Amino acid sequence: MQLRFDDDVEAFRAEFVAFLDANLPGVEETTERPTSTAHMPAWARRWQRLQFDNGWLLPGNPPEYGGRNATLLQQFVHLEELGKRHIYHSFNPQGLGIIAASLLTFGTEEQKRRWAVPILKAEITAALGMSEPGAGSDLAGLRTRAVLDGDHFVVNGQKIWTSGAHDADILLTFVRTDPDAPKHRGISVLVIPTDLPGITRRPFGSIIGADDLDFNEVFFDDVRVPAENLIGQLNKGWHVANGSLGHERTMLWLGFADRLDELVADVRPATPLERDRYATLAMDAQALRLLGSAALARAARGEEDVASISVLKLFGSEAVRTASRHALLAQGSAGLARDGHSRPFEHMNLDWFFASWFDRYAHSFSGTIAGGTSEIQRTIVAERVLGLPRV
Amino acid sequence: MLFELDSDQQLWRTTIRDVLAKECPPALVRSVADQGADPGPLWRTFAGLGWTELTETAEAVELAILLEELGRATDPTPYLATMTWFTPLAPGVLSDGQTGTAVLEGVTAHRDPHGDEGWILDGTGHHVLDGDRADWFAVVTDAGVFTVPATEATVHRENVFDPLLHVADVSFWQVRVGEESRTRADVGLARDIALTGLALTMVGACRRVLDLTLDHVRTREQFGVPIGSFQAVKHKAVDMHVAIERATALAYFAALTIAEQDPRRATAAAMAKAAAGECTTVVFENGFQLFGGMGFTWENDLQFALKRALSGELLLGGADVHRARVTDALLDARAAAPAAGTTSEERHAAAV
Repeated sequence: MQLRFDDDVEAFRAEFVAFLDANLPGVEETTERPTSTAHMPAWARRWQRLQFDNGWLLPGNPPEYGGRNATLLQQFVHLEELGKRHIYHSFNPQGLGIIAASLLTFGTEEQKRRWAVPILKAEITAALGMSEPGAGSDLAGLRTRAVLDGDHFVVNGQKIWTSGAHDADILLTFVRTDPDAPKHRGISVLVIPTDLPGITRRPFGSIIGADDLDFNEVFFDDVRVPAENLIGQLNKGWHVANGSLGHERTMLWLGFADRLDELVADVRPATPLERDRYATLAMDAQALRLLGSAALARAARGEEDVASISVLKLFGSEAVRTASRHALLAQGSAGLARDGHSRPFEHMNLDWFFASWFDRYAHSFSGTIAGGTSEIQRTIVAERVLGLPRV
Repeated sequence: MLFELDSDQQLWRTTIRDVLAKECPPALVRSVADQGADPGPLWRTFAGLGWTELTETAEAVELAILLEELGRATDPTPYLATMTWFTPLAPGVLSDGQTGTAVLEGVTAHRDPHGDEGWILDGTGHHVLDGDRADWFAVVTDAGVFTVPATEATVHRENVFDPLLHVADVSFWQVRVGEESRTRADVGLARDIALTGLALTMVGACRRVLDLTLDHVRTREQFGVPIGSFQAVKHKAVDMHVAIERATALAYFAALTIAEQDPRRATAAAMAKAAAGECTTVVFENGFQLFGGMGFTWENDLQFALKRALSGELLLGGADVHRARVTDALLDARAAAPAAGTTSEERHAAAV
């Protein structure tokens, strides 16, 4: 056990900090704010491109994909430093973290050149078409059909949630290509440009407000998608799905740890009950970083540890939700405010991280619902870590 | 930070588990509780293995590993009190095989009006862990810490709900002690070691409860299937696991701050004890509940681990007491930090 990283990791951190100090956009550049997870204002695109060109976008990647072949621990301090400085990694987070990463893992060289690199360079943005009205936690039950017709797939069906789809250039879409196979074995993955005929994107408001538009319904009506847009092998899409959600999951907990640290800084406990809850918050923040760093050490040795990632997600997301609720309740009737900031404006951060206390509480449910609900995580941990029998 | 046991530490844990499986099996623990068997031979085994020599703070993580395993085995010896209550206050006093504990409150020291440089101890410490079977006491007073042979005190073992636990009232009636028995111990450090040690014991006991509970729900069948296949049962078990993981992390972090003389030590120790208490609440209730009626019986060994954890929560201040200490420390540090130009993380790092 050690309290500090080795010198080479700290040197890497120092180099990145110097890059940030020299190149971070100023506040005046960032007045146009991102409005969805696939909407990138020009400054956000320039900033991501600058990181790409300097090998700081995804340091673990080789230089041609925006990195510098960094070790896992180096990648960790890179993200740690971004979090510490309240810099959001990418304003198309699913494009960078899931879609480009999946294309780099499962795509052909041509597919990487055509879509992964433009996503990384922020020339295009991407959205993830997985969930459907009838396929949420049971993702493998998805029913959007793709039928091969000559050199095209003909796609029919509907996706939902599809964050940022109305602003995205492409959709990484999970479709059923073999309806007769067992449900996990009949799924394939297509890159679908959003300007193809037959696609309808309908953004809808969130609980935050009718004008908070990130969620989308996406309808496919005889959409003809070139067969070369198939990612990975036909009917092996479940493999890609597991890989997609696996990307960056090793460090997914860092986002929850950052939210907890923000709450530690923002909350001003007054009553005895608030002070008691404040200690729980600080302990959760500390424990999450400790457990996360243990998982990181295992991953750095190359151990596959899917289940402990579920523990971190479950614990981190629920701790954020609980602390966000306590922070809102401590406001009393001042907490009714819809607008306003609950912490200082941070020009490189996502707006909702410093939005109203209600917004922060409402958004904390994205942690306990998206990417596998807490209930699903508990079942995964019970079966894979505790060895309890499946039904 | 790399928060993981290194290979030597993992080997050490494996060794401890092997020893305890052989030397401190459930049957031995049961015989101590039911027949009053003497845990003395086990204590001498521990001493023979060199386990009583883990007294340097630099070895705090190694001691932590041992304490967690002893908690898991519901160790019936006075190891915890000797190593984490007495020795940090009075290093180098015990000779081979001797035991000790600490009287943390209730005793005052006055200058002896008749003797040069002497002191008189007066008062009673209540609920002293292993107070009835220690060879030495480290007595904390406003005038300093005194090391006193047990023969100087009057002790009375209390009747407590845990049949393995020894707790006693320890009284000193005008006991004369020399200046040489006054130590220069760092009482704050000793307190943090005791809190961390108790937290690790509780975490170990909670792990034992979870182990037993998992065995039970995997094998107990109702409605034609193991009850562990029901989600309501699975999710309760996972909540136990998560609470244990959280408490374990905070307990080992406290041990690491002791080993590294890190300034976050006092807050880390308070967090460790608070988290162990919170973990105990979840594990006690879910474990007891998932065992159904079997958990309610004297015959079931579940009781020993449940009681070890719960008695730990009742000693040295419960979770609420230590959460209050955590918040006090964090807010004091925030008040002391310059307000402008300080990021939240810097404030946080300074505080924790």
